[in-house]
Amino acid sequence: MSTWIVIVAAGLGSYLFRLSMIILTGRITVPPSLERASGLVVPAAFAALAAAGVAAACSGLAITQSAAPLVAVAAAVIAVLRTGSSQAAILVGMPVLWVTTALLPS
Amino acid sequence: MTSLRTDRRDVAAGARAMVPWLAGLVPFGLVIGVSAAQADIPALAGWLTGPLIYAGSSQVATIGMLDARAAPMVVVASALIINIRLIFYSATMARYWRDMPWWWRLVAAYLMVDPSCAVGLNGYRRLSRRRAHAHYLGGAVLLWVSWLAAIGVGATVGAGWPAWLHLEFVMPLYLVGQTVPKLAQPAQRRAIVAAAATALLALSAPLQLGTALAIAVGVAAGLTVRPDEPAPSPHPLQRTAEVRR
Repeated sequence: MSTWIVIVAAGLGSYLFRLSMIILTGRITVPPSLERASGLVVPAAFAALAAAGVAAACSGLAITQSAAPLVAVAAAVIAVLRTGSSQAAILVGMPVLWVTTALLPS
Repeated sequence: MTSLRTDRRDVAAGARAMVPWLAGLVPFGLVIGVSAAQADIPALAGWLTGPLIYAGSSQVATIGMLDARAAPMVVVASALIINIRLIFYSATMARYWRDMPWWWRLVAAYLMVDPSCAVGLNGYRRLSRRRAHAHYLGGAVLLWVSWLAAIGVGATVGAGWPAWLHLEFVMPLYLVGQTVPKLAQPAQRRAIVAAAATALLALSAPLQLGTALAIAVGVAAGLTVRPDEPAPSPHPLQRTAEVRR
């Protein structure tokens, strides 16, 4: 039940953010420091979620295969740096994960 | 308002201006759908993050943290912190919409997200106010339909695939792909490194508070970089547009 409440609450709060300055226009100004901080939130959130996701993937595999996600991430980082394309992370990382887990003993 | 409904040419122009954005956003929607299908939440709940939250990064955090069984308040707070940029978009668009009726502003605000603002602002800078409203709605509605369709397709094809494919790893890889290019900017680099390190150190934090804590530490670390260092563009919308191009 709480899953539905969480999604509705997050959605309602997001909509209020969208409406906020349309309702309050001209009455308040947003401090520059908050504007600067808001530009850092998404990179920080993506990094935190990525790190937690990789850690969860490592712990979800047999101990002999737990290095496979790290190898896949390393390959993904190299692919993104070399191609300049964010999509390369999945296109390279997933096949590397499959091959590595197949090669490592289970 | 009749003119808005009938000005199909400007609506179509707005939709065409949105098409290049869809090349990057539809795969993101597919990945969110796949992650929702893999997560331990009802499939419909995962899809509903699309129409209700309607902001990809916040949807990712919500689905991921619900899957990790984080405390409900922590999930909501994290989703809203990520979406705080919407306040700035709201401030940007408010000046163009102040003469429109309330029902129009309520709908337009609901459709407000990074790409729709970028396409909309381009129209407001080039066209008359009346035509730019139609241009905004054309792009925003196409984005909304495409986004929800992509999540739906991802959720459908992402369910029931063999376990050896490890589709649960698609989202972490997608996030890695989005994060690596941002390492070039000093403030974002510091935020990313601090957030990732904190998330790993706080893996066993109670109530799955690790992600929220990592975001806070990452932002605080990024703010320690002086603004006069080679820095990201001053407006979050411009920066997002650069990243997604």
